[in-house]
Amino acid sequence: MSVALLRAAIEKKLPSAFMVHSRDYRGGISTGIPAIDVAVRGVPLHALTEICGSNLASSGKTSVLTSLLARTTRDRFCALVDASDAFDPQTGHAAGMEFSRLLWVRCGKSKAKLRPLEQAFKVTDILLNSGGFELIAVDISGIPEQIVRRVPISTWFRFSRVIEKQPAALVFIEQEPHATSCAELVLRVHAQPALPLGKLFTGFDLKVEVVRGRGMEKKPVHSEYGCSLQTQWA
Amino acid sequence: MFACLYVPDFSVQAALLPERGDAREILRRSPVVILDGPSNLPRVVALNDPARRLGIAIGMTKLQVETCGGVAMRQKSQPEEDAAQAALMNCATAFSPKIESACPGAVILDLTGTEKLLGPPESAAKKLSAAAGERGLHVRIAVASNPDAAMHAARGFPGITVIPPGNEAQRLAGLRVDQLPATPEALDVLHGWGIYTFRSLAELPEIPLTERLGQSGLHLQRLARGEVQRTLVPAAPLREFIESYEFEDPVETLESVSFVLNRLLQQVCVHLVSHALATNELRLTLDLAVTQRRNGNDGEHYHHRWKLPVATQDARMLFRLSLLDLERNTFSAPIRRVAVEVLPVKPRAAQGNLFAASSPEAEKLEITLARLRGVVGDADADGIRCVGSPEIVDTHRPGAFAVHPFSSAAAVVESVTVAFPTIALRIFRPALETSVELDGKTPRSVRFAMKHRSVLAASGPWCTSGNWWSNSWDREEWDVALNTTAGIGFYRIYRDRISKRWFVEGIFD
Repeated sequence: MSVALLRAAIEKKLPSAFMVHSRDYRGGISTGIPAIDVAVRGVPLHALTEICGSNLASSGKTSVLTSLLARTTRDRFCALVDASDAFDPQTGHAAGMEFSRLLWVRCGKSKAKLRPLEQAFKVTDILLNSGGFELIAVDISGIPEQIVRRVPISTWFRFSRVIEKQPAALVFIEQEPHATSCAELVLRVHAQPALPLGKLFTGFDLKVEVVRGRGMEKKPVHSEYGCSLQTQWA
Repeated sequence: MFACLYVPDFSVQAALLPERGDAREILRRSPVVILDGPSNLPRVVALNDPARRLGIAIGMTKLQVETCGGVAMRQKSQPEEDAAQAALMNCATAFSPKIESACPGAVILDLTGTEKLLGPPESAAKKLSAAAGERGLHVRIAVASNPDAAMHAARGFPGITVIPPGNEAQRLAGLRVDQLPATPEALDVLHGWGIYTFRSLAELPEIPLTERLGQSGLHLQRLARGEVQRTLVPAAPLREFIESYEFEDPVETLESVSFVLNRLLQQVCVHLVSHALATNELRLTLDLAVTQRRNGNDGEHYHHRWKLPVATQDARMLFRLSLLDLERNTFSAPIRRVAVEVLPVKPRAAQGNLFAASSPEAEKLEITLARLRGVVGDADADGIRCVGSPEIVDTHRPGAFAVHPFSSAAAVVESVTVAFPTIALRIFRPALETSVELDGKTPRSVRFAMKHRSVLAASGPWCTSGNWWSNSWDREEWDVALNTTAGIGFYRIYRDRISKRWFVEGIFD
């Protein structure tokens, strides 16, 4: 029996056996960095996104987050869940963030019973359920990797299921990807060294690698895109 | 036409008002007495019909009541009666602007000109009865052509009574003269004559009655005939929106407090709605039963105030907001009294913009923010909020910022700021103390993440100082490129020239 006949026989009994389910593109939020926007059509709505980069070396993940928040807060409300209280308002202001549309939640600053990571996840849960925020960014890259790795997959799965029904984007900033298939888009960023010109540090070249891009059939997986970022004073 | 709302056994109904709806109905059908007097010998001052059927009478002692068995006993509480009277007044306010608080448990309202709105008197009376029932009060209602006739009919007849104009004397004839506002001496005289009902008083000749009892006797007769016409004495408008409840015994569990708190907030919101007002400030006061007084009086009371960004009439939202706060607090003593006060303001009239981007609902947002504060805390060690919108402070101090309360109502104008992607600084709070080896004045290696890392390039020093008069700073900043195992890291380090120590402030990431 030929393959075609075999396939036809199976499809006769199970019509959806060979059907490929692809999630429709339901819009995205521009990151403000043209190279990424062109490559992945922005951060997808109704989905979980992970942006990863090293915590020891300058990777550019915080710059991507800052740019994303600056672009989104121009006309929509955003929430930043800061697990390690690492956000710098001066940088955000310089990037053009509209602070009145940004809800900043600083975790681990008071004598609360929960640890910073637990606080961050609980806060994310509350924000997801409350609605009204177009972008919820959770920065857990300051939390040691061995602690984040202990987060059960069911937590990521729950986040992905909840955000799927909301017109919002959920973005995690981490050192390594953890959500596996629960994430619709996984970007790994790293900065190419660009040593100071003379005495002044002026910027670095950003390399973005698309580790996972669901719904991007035409884009090659593990593709890299580059751009350069400047400091405020450059 | 005038209508009178009369609450029979007012003290009993006022005492049962704080109970939950179904429990209140069960208690209403059970014998209930209200006790008052010295603590060693309390006596019955009020009771309901089931208690009367058991043979209990006013003036009996607590011990005598206990012998009957199965009788619910409550202590007389003036705040509860005030709250019940306020609820009754609010009920009447919703139907007519002209109301009179005739006596505890009785309110008279002028229905003149409300026919088109409320319908005929029977229909208006039914609506009044339903509105009072929603507030947990079982009332008798009478409608008559003058206020006193309406009040006597309401006190004398159960259910709804409508007296057509001209029939007052006939309808009131069967009532007892004890209901009239007569002095005990005048009543004794009337009883001595064998006058016990309105009918017998109404039929007495006027001149001999006046000769014996004076003008007051004539006034009583006109009341018995239902002929007294007078204007209402309007009740003073309710200016303060305060509700309070005092527990018989101090309570320690949050469940008991939350139950009462919910009811108080519902009452206060009903008041707001009836006055077409809303609130943007809620104040909660808890009186604690402190047995040993500490220094100062702060331990005896707990106060909390919420400033809301939008005016609201939503009792549930206010309740959840206050409950979230109570859950986070622990009290040094049991709670004796709960009081809530709201600041009345005009309700929000603006309609949301259909074409605007989605934003968190203002009412829901307050609950969300309270829940977030419950998770991460109110403020850090420096007193800066943990939840809110960041703001740049007008100072040159490095890293200075403030956090303001977040509000979705504040940001409605679309920003025109042009955003350019720039390199962000990732801050370490607090800054990490480190040791730096210098080559001349330039950093040669920096100890970071447990290792000495060689400096590939350094940019600096950038010197800043300020606030020499208090809490001064004086630092020398360097931007350095460190060689790490993961690649090159651009860090900002600084030397505090006052303490002569080096710190890593953040990483350009």
